[in-house]
Amino acid sequence: MKSDKLYAFLFLAPAVAITAVFLYYPFFDNIRQSFYRTDGFFNSTFIGLENYRRLLEDDIALGATLNSLELMLYVSIFQVGIALALAVMVDSIRHGVRFFRTTFFFPVVISGAAIGLLFTLIYNYNNGLLNEILVRLGLERVLWLTEQSSLYMVAIPTIWSYVGFYFIILLTAISKIPADYYEAAKLEGINGFQKTIKITLPLIVTDMKTCLILAITGALKIFELVYIITRGGPARSSEVLGTYMYQKAFVDSAVGYGATLAILMVIIGLSLALITNILLKRDDVTY
Amino acid sequence: MKKCTRLLCIPFGLAITLSACSNEDASTPTSDSSGSNNNEETIELRVVTTMAGTDPGGLAFNELIEDFQNENDHISIINESQSADAGVIRTKVNTDFSSNNEPDLMFYFNTVDAQGIIDQGLVIDLEKAEDLNLEGFHELMYEQQRNENGGLYAVPQSGFYEALFVNEALFEEHGVELPTTWELYEEAIRAFAETDIIPVAVSTEDSYYLVEHYILAAGGIENFRAELSEQDEAWAEGLDKIAEHAEMGAFPVDAATIDLGASAQLFHSEQAAMLFEGSWAYGGMSDAGIADNVRPYYMPVYGDGGETGDLVGGASQGWFISTKAYEDDSKHDAVVDFFNFITSEESIVKIADATMQVPAKGSLSELPETVASGHALSEEATGVEAPINDRIYPEAFTHIRQSVPEIVNGSKTGAQVIEEAAELE
Repeated sequence: MKSDKLYAFLFLAPAVAITAVFLYYPFFDNIRQSFYRTDGFFNSTFIGLENYRRLLEDDIALGATLNSLELMLYVSIFQVGIALALAVMVDSIRHGVRFFRTTFFFPVVISGAAIGLLFTLIYNYNNGLLNEILVRLGLERVLWLTEQSSLYMVAIPTIWSYVGFYFIILLTAISKIPADYYEAAKLEGINGFQKTIKITLPLIVTDMKTCLILAITGALKIFELVYIITRGGPARSSEVLGTYMYQKAFVDSAVGYGATLAILMVIIGLSLALITNILLKRDDVTY
Repeated sequence: MKKCTRLLCIPFGLAITLSACSNEDASTPTSDSSGSNNNEETIELRVVTTMAGTDPGGLAFNELIEDFQNENDHISIINESQSADAGVIRTKVNTDFSSNNEPDLMFYFNTVDAQGIIDQGLVIDLEKAEDLNLEGFHELMYEQQRNENGGLYAVPQSGFYEALFVNEALFEEHGVELPTTWELYEEAIRAFAETDIIPVAVSTEDSYYLVEHYILAAGGIENFRAELSEQDEAWAEGLDKIAEHAEMGAFPVDAATIDLGASAQLFHSEQAAMLFEGSWAYGGMSDAGIADNVRPYYMPVYGDGGETGDLVGGASQGWFISTKAYEDDSKHDAVVDFFNFITSEESIVKIADATMQVPAKGSLSELPETVASGHALSEEATGVEAPINDRIYPEAFTHIRQSVPEIVNGSKTGAQVIEEAAELE
């Protein structure tokens, strides 16, 4: 028994060491840096809570937070919603399940940078795909990325790129539901829609909860698509916390304030995950 | 216990295997680049520059390293150059210096970027070193490297200028007068705005050159040189003028979302008549096949404090020597030799020849007409000042630059943005 513990310790030690060095140390150092006006290298002055005071007065940070929350809403509704609809539909067909599974999952394996570049080319005003189609149809070019539309335009690829991930989770959950339930319901005369509402959805609610929490916390990490497609513009209309933090820490060399924004992201992420957990709290379904 | 011993043998065995591999290298006699073996120990010098990636100077620099190593077979140069794009070089240099892993020599931005390194005493004051050859540099470029504290921590390699690049063929084709004065510049904007040609290819979001040139236009070199904390009125006026010109249709429809590369592409494909850029832009124009149609012009100045002929430019990069390497007896001579070699007129001209920049020593001959006219622009300038971007706190400049779309859409004024930026310093 004692040697088992030793084995457990030895096998866990590398993972613990790596996590400590690459996750916990940077995290706590990030908290420390948030109390400094620093470029992260040579210029470092302790300023106490000044960065936090600045954060409270920063209109751009407020706008970025609201944009992040708006994006989170779209992601939660559409990523999980579309994934659920696709999973239910794919589960109900007899042929081509593998094809649809691969097709819907495919965007997940493409890097965010590539998807960002792809959509940059699609939205481009002068030579973009959408405007080329419009011109061929004899219509006027459209400025797709405006202050009013930019957040929606970055939400589209963000949703599209990760629908497949939740689709696979939900499809797997649906496929685990015992066939007996459906057979019994069929004998009772239940139709397809009722089958989904009364059997499928209640039985996969735990997985949907997981998907929602993943979507909500994942939305806070959205960075590369926004950075590549709009860089937070025009006029900061699509600025999100990820792009603003990156700009402060790495473009402006204001690592201290960037660290403060990172803390804000952690607080928002943890709070929302907690709230989601409480709101969706119910006994796990087992069968 | 037996199991435990076996388990512990795994890392031990791994260590033996790894050390056997490393011994293989260690047991191999050191040979120099020329292939000859001698008893003299090879001295390794780590050099970091921005001459990598798309920088046309990279090839010439590598050839110079090879020449130096052939002449000094006991010195091995480890070239750790990184492209200047996307700030990668800044992160590398800051990380190296702050982790006590600094390069022995570096060719880096002698701007606010190097101030922390200088303040920490991590690079030497070159004028205080007795064995370096600091002769023959063009006075203006040399003095531009001097720090506020009076020390000289870097010497220049080449100078640059930023200017209004004009596609003269498009002007001729549309019967528009060349923008040699502010009135003609505005007239050109009006004239091209009525055609399918974009008057000025700019990105208002990525508006480095746009901001610099409009501030220069509004106040000339005198106001351009002001400190941000002074909140010079000409700076605010220049920013407001960008909005006024945007209203006139001067810029691309999507100027608020495209980056510098995309705006340059509009100019390269002759969809735009003018472009604000630096002297390094010649390569892109040459590749696009439009270089013969293009000439650089001074930004027309209309405000008090200067005249048309003032120029944003200078020599913002230079060769530094790390204090650690200079004070290391085993490396000292090699560092001095390489520094004197790479900053010799021959080396500087060779690199400048590849980049078409104005060399800090000597001059280039047989230049293409566009490049030659740029050099003439630089030589005949009534005043030259380093870009604002190089002089103020980076966060403050980013705030000004990224607020341009908000000035254009009317949600902020130039004065408001300058005031906000000054508060960040």
